[in-house]
Amino acid sequence: MSTRTSAARNRRLNAEELDRFGEELDALRARTVATLGTRDARYIRNIVKAVRYANLAGRALLFAAAVAGGLWLADSAVGWLFWVLWAAGALMLGLGKILDNMELGHNVIHGQYDWMGDPQLNGRTYDWDIVATAENWRYTHNFRHHTYTNVRGLDDDIGYGLLRIFPEQKWKPFYLLQPAVAVVFALYFQWGVAIQNLKLGRWWHGKMSTRQLRVKSAPVVRKMGKQLAKDYVVYPALAGPFFLPVLLGNLVANGLRNVWTYVIIFCGHFTADAETFPKECVKNESRGHWYLRQLRGSSNIRGGFLINVLSGNLSHQIEHHFFPDVPANRYAEMAREVRAICARYGQHYNTGTLFTQFGQVCWRILRHAFPSRPRRMASLVPAEAAA
Amino acid sequence: MRLCIGIVAAMSAQFSPPRRRPGALKRLVGPLVKPDVFDFWSTRLHRTWTWDRPMARLVAREAASADAVTLLLRPNRHWAGHRAGQHVNLGVEIGGVRVTRSYSLTAPPRADGLLPVTVKAIEGGRVSNHLCREARLGEVFELGQAFGDMTLPEAPTDAPRLLLAAGSGITPMIALARELAARGMPGETTLLYWVRRREEACFLDELRALAAAHPRFRFRLLLTRQAAASPDEGEGRIDAASLEDSLAGPAQMHAMACGPGGFVEAARALLAGRVAAFQAEAFTLPPRAVAEDGEVEVRLQRSGRTLRLARGLSLLEALEAQGLKPDSGCRMGICNSCACGKAGGSVRHLPSGELAHEPTQALKLCIHSAATDLELDL
Repeated sequence: MSTRTSAARNRRLNAEELDRFGEELDALRARTVATLGTRDARYIRNIVKAVRYANLAGRALLFAAAVAGGLWLADSAVGWLFWVLWAAGALMLGLGKILDNMELGHNVIHGQYDWMGDPQLNGRTYDWDIVATAENWRYTHNFRHHTYTNVRGLDDDIGYGLLRIFPEQKWKPFYLLQPAVAVVFALYFQWGVAIQNLKLGRWWHGKMSTRQLRVKSAPVVRKMGKQLAKDYVVYPALAGPFFLPVLLGNLVANGLRNVWTYVIIFCGHFTADAETFPKECVKNESRGHWYLRQLRGSSNIRGGFLINVLSGNLSHQIEHHFFPDVPANRYAEMAREVRAICARYGQHYNTGTLFTQFGQVCWRILRHAFPSRPRRMASLVPAEAAA
Repeated sequence: MRLCIGIVAAMSAQFSPPRRRPGALKRLVGPLVKPDVFDFWSTRLHRTWTWDRPMARLVAREAASADAVTLLLRPNRHWAGHRAGQHVNLGVEIGGVRVTRSYSLTAPPRADGLLPVTVKAIEGGRVSNHLCREARLGEVFELGQAFGDMTLPEAPTDAPRLLLAAGSGITPMIALARELAARGMPGETTLLYWVRRREEACFLDELRALAAAHPRFRFRLLLTRQAAASPDEGEGRIDAASLEDSLAGPAQMHAMACGPGGFVEAARALLAGRVAAFQAEAFTLPPRAVAEDGEVEVRLQRSGRTLRLARGLSLLEALEAQGLKPDSGCRMGICNSCACGKAGGSVRHLPSGELAHEPTQALKLCIHSAATDLELDL
């Protein structure tokens, strides 16, 4: 699939159609928000519960594996049990961290559950179990990424300043290394997210003084220290001399979460049909135009309940970008109407299985490691509509 | 109409943890504890055990009048205590939403540590109906610390006192009356209590018993929609005549009034220059009609500033026009950067034009405009 076919799949909308497209989506939003209530509150509290129990189970299993392994398991006939306990512990903890990161943290920080008035589920104050500070995330993600989705020069999530995903990004020889860089980035994804807002590139090029950087990075460094101390000092220390399996289990759990979030997030905006946009695109942008840009820049993952929950409902990336502050547990049912609206306006609804979507992402990473030229793309809407 | 027993004027006390210095153990482990994780596990052991949030459990409920009930709440250890005449914010979860209302505590601190609040069921009042009818024993509420200045001095003087209550305004007054009775009624005290009908009056038997037991305590019930039937009853709204008897003595009178805004203003005007001190607390009611244009007064709690802002603009634009720079981002209601707590007043949701009156509510400055005077957490 190429961008040319994707452009051909989308009908060009005139200004009036664009307005109606936006109005229909606004109406869907209003209908949904009007029915928020007990069901949604129960849902997010169940997610909190799942996170807490998964974390507890994961840490307990790792601890049990370490202590039992160190005391007698290794010399006994059932030595393999150590590995079972340890792997189960790392998986459980990884699951807890994935849920905390995606379905709980990401969605709560968007303010999706602010309407509940629960001070512990408030978007402005919530913090999550990753090295990135929620404060920076609120800026780079909630504001920059969600307002200027896939707009070149405004949305830093396009390749995260590290990868060339789209032919419109200028090629440099460094990108020849990007297949390897991408793998390392996946393993350390939370660190990449943590330093995203520090703009190290600007410091490197002398556009920011070392002192400015130090001030800017202080809270990030503090959070990093806290996270490192928790997973690699305090919890391992609880196992005393058997700290190593706990430490490694925590490392694996963090790694699992990193890779999974990377896969999901990359599928959201870097599939074959996803488009990027020039800066001029957002000047005097109408509501309908903003919706259309969100649609063209996002892609969903087809799957069931499990994919929805584990991806923090980013399997409904399109719905999430249309309605970033509507509780994510509503996206699946909103998706039916969104699809129908898109179909009515002749717009391609980009979705596919995790396998196909991530396959397309991998292809982009490989392909654009090498020089490539952007195709001539028609602008999002006819000139008179944008005016 | 949404009106509850209690005061919705001074909401700044919200749900802040106590300012007491934590114990040594707590200070030691504090840095390692995430309060929300701690609360999750501790509330599994006991529903009101928390790291630092005051919470209360409903332990008893009894009828107080034809349409009011008295709730007895057991606070957790983070409750820092109160004085007679003070109020408390209760956060009640209804339909997944935590709604906050202020209620007056109807007694001085009790030996058993329970907090009594009296709630009148209001037609269409979500919280009052929930508390009066639906809340089950054992239900847990978020609790704010006590607030309010309409209290007695540590050692009450023998100065004469005039207590004026209308409707729900009786709730802090009964606490003051009980406190004075417990101290042997140090000065001449008159309590005038206005209600529409006798059966709506709360604490009637107790007030009459107090009047019988303490010669220095005088009580009068004033009915606005019923005929008086006993010597301690009168008729009509608050006016100069109804206060005349009470003001006959020396002018050292210390007056306190509580009730709807109109009542309190009437009391203030009638007593101006005739009493030594006047303290009052008024209910705020949701506005019946909201103007489309003009200006409103917006108080910013954290910076302590008060501004006049235009109704027609979004709050963000209006604040920026005054030279302020509140956090903001997308300016289209999606990024939540400008989300801001509201402690009182009504706002208009600009995309839909709908009004939101709920006093404590998160709002986005970029897509809401002020509809009435506001109090913002900025």
